[in-house]
Amino acid sequence: MNMGKSHESKRGVSQSSKYMLIFPLIVLVTYGVLFLIMPEQALVALKNSGKVCLNILLPLALVFVVMLALNLFVKPVQIVHLLSSGANIKGILLSVAAGIISVGPIYVWYPLLKELREKGAGNMPIAVFLYNRAVKPFLLPVMVAYFGWVYVAILTVLTVLASIVNGYLVAMFAKRKTAE
Amino acid sequence: MKIAISAERADLESNVAHRFGLSPYLLVVDTETMGFKALANPGAISRPGAGVQAVIFAISEGVEVVLTGYCGPAAYDQLVSNGIKVITNVSGMVKDAIEKYKAGGFGQVLAVEQEKEQANRYINRNTLARALRSSARQIANILPILIGVVLCIGLFNTFVSKEALATIFSENVVGDTLWGACFGSILAGNPINSYVIGAALLNNGVSLFAVTALIITWVTVGLVQLPAEIASLGLRFALLRNALCLVLAIPVAILTVMILNFIIG
Repeated sequence: MNMGKSHESKRGVSQSSKYMLIFPLIVLVTYGVLFLIMPEQALVALKNSGKVCLNILLPLALVFVVMLALNLFVKPVQIVHLLSSGANIKGILLSVAAGIISVGPIYVWYPLLKELREKGAGNMPIAVFLYNRAVKPFLLPVMVAYFGWVYVAILTVLTVLASIVNGYLVAMFAKRKTAE
Repeated sequence: MKIAISAERADLESNVAHRFGLSPYLLVVDTETMGFKALANPGAISRPGAGVQAVIFAISEGVEVVLTGYCGPAAYDQLVSNGIKVITNVSGMVKDAIEKYKAGGFGQVLAVEQEKEQANRYINRNTLARALRSSARQIANILPILIGVVLCIGLFNTFVSKEALATIFSENVVGDTLWGACFGSILAGNPINSYVIGAALLNNGVSLFAVTALIITWVTVGLVQLPAEIASLGLRFALLRNALCLVLAIPVAILTVMILNFIIG
């Protein structure tokens, strides 16, 4: 479900890929220094990381499967359709759905949201969409593995409800400020 | 019938632009009246998702056919799956291309192939390969930071004591939740990292209230992305939305844990 790629965006991706490597490289250098000055504790830290890594492998495999399903059946155009449905109840629910199934970094979505705003989309569906990006179906296996399905179910339901409250408040305050 | 055509300029005398997503203009031409509407292609200005924005424009204008030099596979799939026929390798003057289409000069073979492709799109091998590549790329994008976070957790578990954490998280529900929400607002990246960090904090005695607030604000509040949000959606909207998300995270986190405790006893 990735956005369409242009030469420019590919350049942008490779640029951000470089930035993404900085953090793990800093951590690796830290480990290198620690192995020199306190090897025993560094080894303990590495073993601790190994345990975390083992715990995450299976959920990560499930993440790939769910991601594949989303990439096969959900397209950005469908998301934009859902978002363009207005500020009525149906429109808000469709914005919830759009936020949940959208993937990729948020900055990729900003130009589209701007475009939708210029075409008349209100603040509420946009705010609802942005809030619901906190619900990640493809990451649910990892979340369930760490926190249990009951917790995940409660948090998911409350996140969706909070997104509507958030959208309503954003729309209300933005309108009031505009009126002032 | 409406036809969308990628164009170098905003008139029918213009040449057909080669790339659909990046063409300077998209013309929507009514084939009966030859009246047309020109739109500066939004995708040509804002590069990320360029093809998608052109697709959205074509769909919202109700076009039935797209004529262009080249159309990327993602945009092509989206157009076809929305019932729009795509004819590529089109060049020359826009007006001539429209006339050629009206005269059936591009043939019926393309249309038949596209209808077949549309019917088979769910089992199309190319679609599956693209989805696999896309998923692999998304996982690959997650991995570097995730590996860094996992290695950090190892350091954290080894070097940070529970006593040190207790100086920040003092078992005050509102205070802890607020701290968690603040950390989540500052940190950014794929939410999977917030789950790993949250689980590590939980194992080190930090309350679930704080961890829940961290997970919520990790995505909903974005201080790092704030400049980009302001640029696209306006200062007022961006500040208001982020501030409300931060405030809302606290009752949502508290309510989540309270309901959980009620259910599991």
